[in-house]
Amino acid sequence: MLASSKQLYQYPLHLIFHPFDGYWELKYERNQKMTLLIAGMIMLLLIMTKILHAQYSGFLINFNNPKRLNSLLEMVYVIVPVLFWCVANWSLTTLMDGEGKFSEIFMSTCFALVPLLLIQFPWIWLSLVISVQETAFYYFSNAIAIGWTVYLLFVGNMTVHQYTPAKTILTMFLTLVAMAFMAFLCLLFFSLVQQIVSFAVTIYQELVLRG
Amino acid sequence: MRASTRNKRKWIIIGMVCLLLFGHEAPLVNADRTSDAYHYSYWGEAVPAPAAYEATAIITGRKLNTDAFKEPSDLHVTADERVFLLDSGNGRIIEMDRNFKLVRVIDSFEREGKPDHFNNPRGLYVTDKGHLLVADSDNQRVVHLDELGQLVNIVAEPQSDLLRADFQFKPIRVVMDKGERIYVMAEGVFDGFMEFNADGTFSSFIGANRVQVDPVEYLWKRFATREQRSQMVMFTPTEFTNLDMDEEGFIYATSGDRGKDPIKKLNAQGTDILRREGYQPPQGDMMYTTETGPSRLIDVDVGDSDMYSVLDANTGRVFTYNGDGYLLHIFGGIGNRQGQFNTPVALERAGERILVLDKALGEITVFQTTEYGRTLHDAVRSYYNGDEDRSSLLFAKAAEMNANLEYAYAGIGKALLRQKEYADSAQYFKRSMERLGYSKAFLLFRKELMREHFSWMMSGLFLAVGSLVTVMIVRRQKRRTTNAGVK
Repeated sequence: MLASSKQLYQYPLHLIFHPFDGYWELKYERNQKMTLLIAGMIMLLLIMTKILHAQYSGFLINFNNPKRLNSLLEMVYVIVPVLFWCVANWSLTTLMDGEGKFSEIFMSTCFALVPLLLIQFPWIWLSLVISVQETAFYYFSNAIAIGWTVYLLFVGNMTVHQYTPAKTILTMFLTLVAMAFMAFLCLLFFSLVQQIVSFAVTIYQELVLRG
Repeated sequence: MRASTRNKRKWIIIGMVCLLLFGHEAPLVNADRTSDAYHYSYWGEAVPAPAAYEATAIITGRKLNTDAFKEPSDLHVTADERVFLLDSGNGRIIEMDRNFKLVRVIDSFEREGKPDHFNNPRGLYVTDKGHLLVADSDNQRVVHLDELGQLVNIVAEPQSDLLRADFQFKPIRVVMDKGERIYVMAEGVFDGFMEFNADGTFSSFIGANRVQVDPVEYLWKRFATREQRSQMVMFTPTEFTNLDMDEEGFIYATSGDRGKDPIKKLNAQGTDILRREGYQPPQGDMMYTTETGPSRLIDVDVGDSDMYSVLDANTGRVFTYNGDGYLLHIFGGIGNRQGQFNTPVALERAGERILVLDKALGEITVFQTTEYGRTLHDAVRSYYNGDEDRSSLLFAKAAEMNANLEYAYAGIGKALLRQKEYADSAQYFKRSMERLGYSKAFLLFRKELMREHFSWMMSGLFLAVGSLVTVMIVRRQKRRTTNAGVK
């Protein structure tokens, strides 16, 4: 029990510094259930970081209107892109001879987000004691976090699907396109549903008012 | 066991409630609710504000014991607060003193021994010396009269290679700078203002608006055939709607549609040098319905200390900004009450009063500052003149009357910064959403704090590092001995 609780944080940390080893282990050697649990926790922590960041980060870097903050929306902003990415990636790679299962794609994506968590979480407090000139460090480290995450995503994709580097880059690009396509379809779907509902409501009102 | 799971559940629920509470809305600060005046906050939301001006009088032709004004279109107030009104429909200029008593009426002037009249004049400017400049639109000329109403010069249709052959000179507004150069805003001219030399010869255009291309429209145009294209609207730069000149000779200009920058301050080269440091760039209304549309600014008036006001024809509101581009106050409106207009066309400041001319009703509404307005103006004025102590006092007073005036808090913050009250200063800057000021105050506060507590912080750090190293050494030793024991 003690050993497993220790690996909760040891394994993700190992993975982000040794991504090739880490993702290999993720695919072939580790207990899937445990890894899935860790992935879920990473996502949860990222949501928490995002919410705390929006509310409590320093005045100099916080451009949110406190009146307009909505924790549920912040949650959506994390979950939806990750899920979209996973679904799009899975849909594509099944067509492109990828070897990854959906759960593997999901896990590898979540693990790739660890740098974001590690770098942004301390900045919630650090940003409270910086001046305008020092915000450069904030933006710089943010950029590093994003770069690192992209790199991990790349390695993760490559390992999980057993692709060549060139094919991985192509897949990642196509995944982005697919995400945009999915977003479009979702919007279309919701707007159509909205129209149908409003049509039904209008008919109902008409009947009620005439009757 | 059961108790512990219930406990856990309780914590989870509390945690979730806390998450939901993060989005809790702060209550609105209520200012003086006796007026319907408003203001825009840092976030671009309309918030209530006390009235800065109140309408005190209405001037009509009848009240001056002359004929009623017929479609008056421009107004000018000199530095000594004499009021000149251009009564276009009657083709005359009416001069009033500062108490709105009729002084004289100019409806003709002598030209080569014969009397000459105006024909639908639309623009009027009075120089410091009292010379009158009239944009005599339908006569296609600008008439320059001296302080006695004697003709000095006539600027007629210019001859220049810069102009099209079929060009019709129809001046609408006119100003003159200290070097007696005349700037004319003419109808159908998209190249900016026409600049004339002191002797009345045309020299050049200045300050043209840039063409603004809508990318979608541009794409359509690429696909359209020549016939279709000829039916489409051309990409033309927007025309200016009005202009005014400040004491230093800079031209303030407004353009009617909401382009990128509907208000401009032009230097002698025609470059826009208006400061837009405020929460939002100066543009009139931020929020509007699709019915009214965005602000259509049709007049601008520059007062002292770089404060300027613009008039929005759509909503009849007057927006006043300071030199940095911070919104100071909003008043006026379209309606039937005193202090509201039907067709406002011109705006002039006369000391602490603002005059708004209504074309359809043929009347001038006189607004007088309230105590709030005076305090705010005095604060801006003192700050402009470098008297920061007085300005911070006045800003504090203004903030007391209007808690929504975020701009005022920065003034207090600046004063506190100089009094070395860094922590408080940072708080005031934060309230004012002034990030640079906040950073400056905070940096000084941080330095002060560090200096004060440096000794024990550093010794604590040394102690911590020392103890950590000791613990590590002891551990290593222990491990070595146990390993040795195992062996």
